[in-house]
Amino acid sequence: MAAATTPRIIVVGGGLAGLSAVIKIAEAGGKVDLFSIVPVKRSHSVCAQGGINAAKNLKGEGDDVLKHFDDTVYGGDFLANQTPVKQMTAQGPAIIDLLDRMGVPFNRTPEGLLDFRRFGGTLYHRTAFAGATAGQQLLYALDEQVRRYESEGKVTKYEGWEFMSAVLGSKGEARGICAMNLRSMETQTFPCDAVIICTGGNGAIFGKSTNSVVCTGSAQSALYQQGAYYANGEFIQVHPTAIPGEDKLRLMSESARGEGGRVWVPRDKLDKRAAASIPEGDRWYFLEERYPKYGNLVPRDIATREIFKVVYEDEMGIDGQPMVYLDVSHLSPERQNKLEGILEIYEKFVGDDPRKVPMKIFPGVHYTMGGLWVDFEQQTNIPGVFAAGEADYSIHGANRLGANSLLSCIYGGFVAGPNAMAYAKALPAQEGDGGHAAELARQKQKNQALLNNKGTQNPFKIWRELGETMTKHATIVRYNPGLDEADAKIVELLDRYRDVNLSDKSQWANTSFAFTRQLYNMLEMARLMVKGARLRDESRGAHYKPDFPNREDKEFLKTTKASFVDGAPKITFEEVDTSFIAPRPRVYTSS
Amino acid sequence: MATAAPPAPASNPTLRGVQPLRAGQGHSYFWRRLHSLTGLIPIGGFLIEHILSNYEAVNGPLAYAQQVKFLNGLPLVRVLEWAFIFIPLLYHALYGVFIAIRGRSNVNVYPWAGNWSYYMQRVTGYIAFAYIVQHVWRQRFSGVSLPEHPGAAFAKVQHELHNPWMLAIYVIAMVATCWHFAYGVWLFAAKWGITPGEKARRNFGYACAAVGTGLCALGLVGMYAFINPKYANAPADVMPEQQPGIVLPAPSVAPPNSVNPSAAIRN
Amino acid sequence: MSTATLEAPAKSPMSTSVSETPARTRATNRTIKVSIKRQASPESKAATETFEIPYRPNMNITSLLGEIALNPTTVTGVDTTPISYDANCLEEICGSCAMLINGKAMMACSALVDKLMGPNGDGAITLAPLSKFPVVRDLAVDRSVLFENLKKVKAWVPIDGTYDLGPAPRQFPQVQEQRYPLSNCISCTICMEVCPQFNEATGFVGAATIAQAKLFNMDPAGAVLKPDRLRALAGDGGVQECSFSQNCVQACPKQLPLTEAISDMGRDVFVQQVKDFFTR
Repeated sequence: MAAATTPRIIVVGGGLAGLSAVIKIAEAGGKVDLFSIVPVKRSHSVCAQGGINAAKNLKGEGDDVLKHFDDTVYGGDFLANQTPVKQMTAQGPAIIDLLDRMGVPFNRTPEGLLDFRRFGGTLYHRTAFAGATAGQQLLYALDEQVRRYESEGKVTKYEGWEFMSAVLGSKGEARGICAMNLRSMETQTFPCDAVIICTGGNGAIFGKSTNSVVCTGSAQSALYQQGAYYANGEFIQVHPTAIPGEDKLRLMSESARGEGGRVWVPRDKLDKRAAASIPEGDRWYFLEERYPKYGNLVPRDIATREIFKVVYEDEMGIDGQPMVYLDVSHLSPERQNKLEGILEIYEKFVGDDPRKVPMKIFPGVHYTMGGLWVDFEQQTNIPGVFAAGEADYSIHGANRLGANSLLSCIYGGFVAGPNAMAYAKALPAQEGDGGHAAELARQKQKNQALLNNKGTQNPFKIWRELGETMTKHATIVRYNPGLDEADAKIVELLDRYRDVNLSDKSQWANTSFAFTRQLYNMLEMARLMVKGARLRDESRGAHYKPDFPNREDKEFLKTTKASFVDGAPKITFEEVDTSFIAPRPRVYTSS
Repeated sequence: MATAAPPAPASNPTLRGVQPLRAGQGHSYFWRRLHSLTGLIPIGGFLIEHILSNYEAVNGPLAYAQQVKFLNGLPLVRVLEWAFIFIPLLYHALYGVFIAIRGRSNVNVYPWAGNWSYYMQRVTGYIAFAYIVQHVWRQRFSGVSLPEHPGAAFAKVQHELHNPWMLAIYVIAMVATCWHFAYGVWLFAAKWGITPGEKARRNFGYACAAVGTGLCALGLVGMYAFINPKYANAPADVMPEQQPGIVLPAPSVAPPNSVNPSAAIRN
Repeated sequence: MSTATLEAPAKSPMSTSVSETPARTRATNRTIKVSIKRQASPESKAATETFEIPYRPNMNITSLLGEIALNPTTVTGVDTTPISYDANCLEEICGSCAMLINGKAMMACSALVDKLMGPNGDGAITLAPLSKFPVVRDLAVDRSVLFENLKKVKAWVPIDGTYDLGPAPRQFPQVQEQRYPLSNCISCTICMEVCPQFNEATGFVGAATIAQAKLFNMDPAGAVLKPDRLRALAGDGGVQECSFSQNCVQACPKQLPLTEAISDMGRDVFVQQVKDFFTR
């Protein structure tokens, strides 16, 4: 029985949430196996730029954790359950202190205290930052702590392994995972008492996004297909400022605006002058004009829609292209210096120096507010399967505020880790082999089917079409006919998937094989996202339907829960916890 | 209840390729740093002394002989010679070759200044090594023994340098050795953390370049003295034989046929 | 991971009715010739395959590789497999996609085709895996030695625990400004690849690890392990193997002050060794 042996937890995903969970478990004396597709130091958290929110009130503004709580709930258009949000914001200052102790090189004030910058959706300086590469710095700090535990033998890393599915016992409880080695391509099951899924977002479903290549949502989708609820799938954050690119959309952090960057287009759409030579009076600072109080720092969903309108309704995009200016060229060198990391990215990939000329940007798919449904203990409806970070749906509701994601990841990991330990200690012995043999057989069969398929469809082409469809119909503006079209298209793609042909059938480091397996999960996930959007006939946060422009609390102040029934998403709705703050209209134009 | 887990398969199969750091193990640190240090002290010091001494040749065979005699008159000179010249030089040379053969120069791919210097340090090291072997053999351990016959030094070198091939070798070796030394000093400061900053390294680089160029110029001028027509056909020996342990006073009168100006002045 | 590409943001239903913006970048008849050194497994022999890809402006190497995945056929019409390579963030921050591009170690995501093709746009592009690391397949190599090295120098702050112990000691901005650049290391291993001293004979630890040791020695709490780190760096393959070719600092895509770190560590290691010699 339990007491004598150490609980064994598997954490899937080595970003901020996963590493946070690992640290908590190792610290509490548990054994952790950490699975990650990429070396954990290369996880997508590394891409976060702006910073991490916590109401430390070091700027004499009278900020406090309850104001952070209110901003987060309000920013998320009241869709988030308030209890976890309240806990997260309350823990924010302690989490910042901890990261500081871990050696994160946060920017400092002359007195040696942490410096804070402003971010969207708040009027306070609440965002601690390390230049413009906060995610990288935070990820590394946690990675280093985990490396320390790894060298002490408390953590075993499985880098280059991809999660395929959970191994479920006779009562439907987690007894392990099935994973594939991305080099040897062997599929294997690993026993454990609890699993924590920290596999991030699913931007790849939209083809091009600001997300990393591994952000396919494949693990979440696999669990959804195994019976886990997937919640609020229709809530996708489109970041207002990204650099359009050939292979991806590169994020241009909100911190650019936090440090004083301004968004504008020429007042005359036929203005052919170089941006820098256009005088102040001929520039239209449309965000500042429409939102005098928050200015360029309105929440992302709003900024995105405004840019979208300027480009497509007012036809005011630069040179008629879907682009607007994000200008930091007027900032002092000290301020620009704080943005060095992102300005370098722009310079490298576009070729212009943003310190001198305004940047050309356009919105890009950025963050998955939805995710695996979890209770307040971060546990999914599959016993023993926990989730944290971007992979779960809690915290951000209908729209995430900038710099809240890093906090939510660490908070989620810190909750999920100890709870998984507690669960594991109380777990009765498994019956039989805990379902290992059956799950292994099921996955191997899928692999074989794929390898033996003699079809004609190129998986990368299917993916491209999926991305085009999703970007067209399920991002900034949504119409029911478009969503129906998207669903039909995904069903068609699922059908074509059955006819997929692998040009590479080798059994060594076969990346297209792994990708093709992810692709199926992406398709299933895309369906539930579209379905959720289709049924939500209102506009809330990032979900905007011109045909239903208002928020409808009576009908839709509810969490969307998708479950996989008979090979299709089935949507149910669940009440939202509003026990602390009564929902009020979300208006950023005035106070 | 915890599942009895079977031992996990190695997630990281045995590493191939370059192996990880052997933290705190082995003695290469000592030997490598000793190599760096010996290049400066005593070898670098000796090089300066040697070039300055040779520069005495500018003042003619007798002055040169006096310098040779002075050096050979130092107390415990044989001990000094072995302890501060031959042994360190041999160590520096052999360990230097060991270092060089383990490097994989890639200046063909990355033709950057620092990389060229890395490559040249090895090339000049080899040149200096080969040169020094023949130089020590031909000038110190074969032919007229100079410790006993300091007066024969000028003629011995002169004879050597009258061979145009040897002259070319000497010139190349002089340039190579001075480069190796000057860059070595710069490397020493960089690697031992004396000049960590970019600016410090750049400025010290100028200083090293100046010293190296100056030293090389001195060496070449000194070398020219031996082929200077003024001293053509220097006498085979300008001094009586020196007995071990007995230091005879230097002659105050130049031997017949001497054109040594300094000797002439003394007269 | 392989990735395919999509065109510039697809138009929304709104846009189709309102405007006809030339969002798509126009394709020309120009093509790009890419020769790729391929190797099916660590043991198999390497061979070069050449591909011809339609040119589009602003392409980078990862988008070229994505194009090949869409249509894995060589220039001679032979069907082949998509290229295996490591890539993740595609914005030069995760450190995955280092490879030899036209012979030089670079990040594939930030290597822009227009630049590589030369001023006339008629250059060819060659891709090969990093040469100092064991090849896994095609352009993917095993760089885990760096992570092992980070363990050897204890590149972490040994905090007491994750419970709330209040803020860390104050730190002047000047200290942060010194630490931050070192903390920007993306573990791409380019500094190791270009280093003539980093090879199997020397077992040199490489600039990245030395810089990380300095970073943690500078942290007020991390400094508790400073003697351990300095002793580790005096081991075989340690800081002494650096011969200051300075390739690391030239090639580093993140412009880390690597030579400065090596110099500083060289001094600190020496001081520690002298101290140890007299006290241990």
